[in-house]
Amino acid sequence: MSGARRRLLAWLQRRPAARAWALLGPGMVWLVLFFLLPLVIMAAYSLMPRGTYGGVQPGFTLEHYRRFFDPLYLAILRRTVVWSVGCTVVCLLVGYPVAYLVARAGRWRAVLLFLVVLPFWTSFLVRTFAMIFLLRDGGLVNTVLLRLGLIDAPLTLLYTPFAVLLGLVYGFLPFMILPIYASLEKLDPTLLEAAETLGATPAAGFRRITFPLSLPGVVAGCFLVFIPSMGSFLTADLLGGAKQLMIGNLIQNQFAAARNWPFGSAASFVVTALVLVAVITYLRVREPAADGAR
Amino acid sequence: MGLVAVAVLVYAFLHLPILVLVAFSFNASKFSAEWRGFTLEWYHRLLERADVIHGLEISLVVATASTAISAALGTLLALALARHRFLGRRMVEGFLYVPIVTPEIVVGISLLLLFALLRLPLGVATIVIAHVAFSLSFVVIVVRARLEGMDTSLEEAALILGADEITTFRRVTLPQLWPGVVAGALLAFILSFDDFVITSFVAGSGTSTLPIVVYGMARRNVEPSINAISTIILVVTTAVLYVAERSLVRGERSSPISRRSA
Amino acid sequence: MNVGRGGALERLVGDLQGARLSRREFVARGLGMGLGLEAVGSLLAACGEREREKPPAAQSADLGPLERELHIYNWSDYIAQDTVANFEREFGVRVTYDTYESNEEMIAKLQAGATGYDIIVPTGYVVPVLVATDLIVPLHRKYLTNWNNLSPIFQNLPTDPGNAHTVPWQWGTSGIAYRRDKVNTAVDSWAVFFDRRLGGKMTMMDDAREVIGAMLRYRGHSLNSVRPAELAQAKQDAIAAKPQLKAYISAPVKGQLVSGDVWVAQLWNGDTVQAQAEEPNVAYVLPKEGCTIWNDSLCIPASARHPRAAHEWMNYILRPEVGAAISRATGYGTPNVDAARLLEHPVTFPTAEELKRLEFPVDLGPDTAAWDQIWTEIKAA
Repeated sequence: MSGARRRLLAWLQRRPAARAWALLGPGMVWLVLFFLLPLVIMAAYSLMPRGTYGGVQPGFTLEHYRRFFDPLYLAILRRTVVWSVGCTVVCLLVGYPVAYLVARAGRWRAVLLFLVVLPFWTSFLVRTFAMIFLLRDGGLVNTVLLRLGLIDAPLTLLYTPFAVLLGLVYGFLPFMILPIYASLEKLDPTLLEAAETLGATPAAGFRRITFPLSLPGVVAGCFLVFIPSMGSFLTADLLGGAKQLMIGNLIQNQFAAARNWPFGSAASFVVTALVLVAVITYLRVREPAADGAR
Repeated sequence: MGLVAVAVLVYAFLHLPILVLVAFSFNASKFSAEWRGFTLEWYHRLLERADVIHGLEISLVVATASTAISAALGTLLALALARHRFLGRRMVEGFLYVPIVTPEIVVGISLLLLFALLRLPLGVATIVIAHVAFSLSFVVIVVRARLEGMDTSLEEAALILGADEITTFRRVTLPQLWPGVVAGALLAFILSFDDFVITSFVAGSGTSTLPIVVYGMARRNVEPSINAISTIILVVTTAVLYVAERSLVRGERSSPISRRSA
Repeated sequence: MNVGRGGALERLVGDLQGARLSRREFVARGLGMGLGLEAVGSLLAACGEREREKPPAAQSADLGPLERELHIYNWSDYIAQDTVANFEREFGVRVTYDTYESNEEMIAKLQAGATGYDIIVPTGYVVPVLVATDLIVPLHRKYLTNWNNLSPIFQNLPTDPGNAHTVPWQWGTSGIAYRRDKVNTAVDSWAVFFDRRLGGKMTMMDDAREVIGAMLRYRGHSLNSVRPAELAQAKQDAIAAKPQLKAYISAPVKGQLVSGDVWVAQLWNGDTVQAQAEEPNVAYVLPKEGCTIWNDSLCIPASARHPRAAHEWMNYILRPEVGAAISRATGYGTPNVDAARLLEHPVTFPTAEELKRLEFPVDLGPDTAAWDQIWTEIKAA
């Protein structure tokens, strides 16, 4: 074994790039085969005319892309972006304190992390139905508020934008907490102790040491929340009463009742491209900073 | 401290619906509309619902397999991106974001098309393939966040002292990286266990996962046996993770490179 | 029919009869010319009449011995608890049973090439699509000895003439369920959804065909209409009704009907029956302007590997006691007359008078895009 190992290591040492690609290899192969290739097929579909019964017919057309740039669909896209940004902001405001606390909780860390993740071992649907029960006109929240005399008549909580936001935040919170925790957890407390000795207040310590060092986690968390929330549709349906369309609902519908696969594919590609551009732009901006921080 | 208050509220928010759903697994009303008495009927019903039990089995198998694969491949990818300069690096980075950005339904349908073209029969294998494909990027992001703040001096010391790369990785890098890998793996597990949209397209005959079974029940008949199985899952995972945590903690304490702050 | 198309149409029919066109191409071209699906279907059937002397070879062929496996793909929660187990025991066949949520999901999988299913259960309007794309095969009636248990209403469906490809499974109507203890006005018309006083207490289904269809019937049009003027009016009506709606929600609204959060809901009769079991004050009405009657049917995909077992299954569920058990569990109507007689609370077959205002939905073909556009605009309003 060690003979083969030595030979492998010697070979790797001679080719630094090979080292990188050996690490990248398996993962990339998987993604190219089972992610990129299917997407290429979809891209082809988005340029073909719609089949009479669904699916596609041979041919080439740009009509689906043209159709997407109609105010009707752009308005839906805009609304989705607003929702996603809102959800991300709330997740950050609410999730950061939790991640911070868990990172500094010493031996309670594992338990607290576990409690963050535990709700997600149940089914998304069952949790959502539980939320429906809580938010309904005759639901728990209203019943409690009425009994306490804080309100006279039930509040309309369910099937409102508020309920959708609540549902989105609920669904994506661990995606924010976990990366921030991972970042904070390796923070060296001696840095903060040093700052304190030098006369910094706790607030300054946070602002100038803790937060900047947790930034990779924050950014990761924001991406992990914003991007998938752009594609979500079940929450808007179940908690929003299906009264408003997010772009995810539109796309889902194209592959379902509307049987317009090419249009659905085109819409998906536009959304995907948009988000990708935003991500790449951010990475370009970040790149120099990351090298400097080392 | 205000911080603790916020955290407590958040935990309450996360768990209130769970408490509700557990309570309703004992409710003698089919529609979970109001409390109508205590009953164990829904748990008895579960024994009859072979589809629910089977769905749980499939979900566990798929989630375990896809988590193991994603965690391994994802960690390798993160290492490559965080530690190495190579041609095409930016492109790989960007490419890794695409699975997260793509709507699930697109991933699901496109994979179905691929499997049909390859004449691959749909089953557990195709579900695992799909789950790894969409959770890899998540693992990479989490592990990379951890890597990017990690102090490389320990690894450099090990190399100077004569350890080869593989040993250094195994005994210095990996233990430091481990919490990140675990966080990434947990994420991958949740993603797989709870996935509905993609799985519904790539599951084959006889391989419906739990979310598919539950969604089916919920669309037509919201029956509290769903609540019953969720409660059981909660209890079992609490027990399992408790045991896992104990062994993790013991492992951490015995590692000579555990955090200096401890 | 448009006179201008006459010549082209004659040529098309001639090509079909002269076997220069396959049935499938005929359908595609006919729809492309703007014919409705029913018209195309009738033409196909009419051409078929000439060839009645020689029955298609498949029908009289023998399917061989009973296989040991059967793979069923059905809607979720659409069967009694022990139907499958009893079948397995009696025939020694191992059954795998999977479920889906929508016709489109099922079709998408079949169209993309998913194989492995021996039985599927599409809703009526999907059947012509499956036939025209060769995704399902004609049945061998000789194995279906219990055929005559079916009610005549369901023996010759407009969506599958002569029931060559289908065995009806369950049927239902989409009317209005309401709490008669909460609503003091009479509820008998789609107009209730414009009533401001009931604002915030009403729901319609999250289904383009049902909502737009209801609004079309409200104005006296067919719920299969593809005329732009009628559709535009339906869109306006739906948008006018939207502010009064609490949500677009289909079967899961049952719980809120029972709890009293919702007072008026567009709902299927089977789901209403289930709600009534927990809350007797839930009433059901077929609006006077008319509404949908639909049925789901068993079919055999072309890629099925166990056709004999599939036929045995179909014949099994045509037995009165089995059909009754299924309906008892699902709450929907059984198309089986003898089964209906065994039920304590049967969903009664529609009377002749009611039948006049019930309409089966048919596939919209290329006009699906127009309907979808309208549904998007309603949702975005």
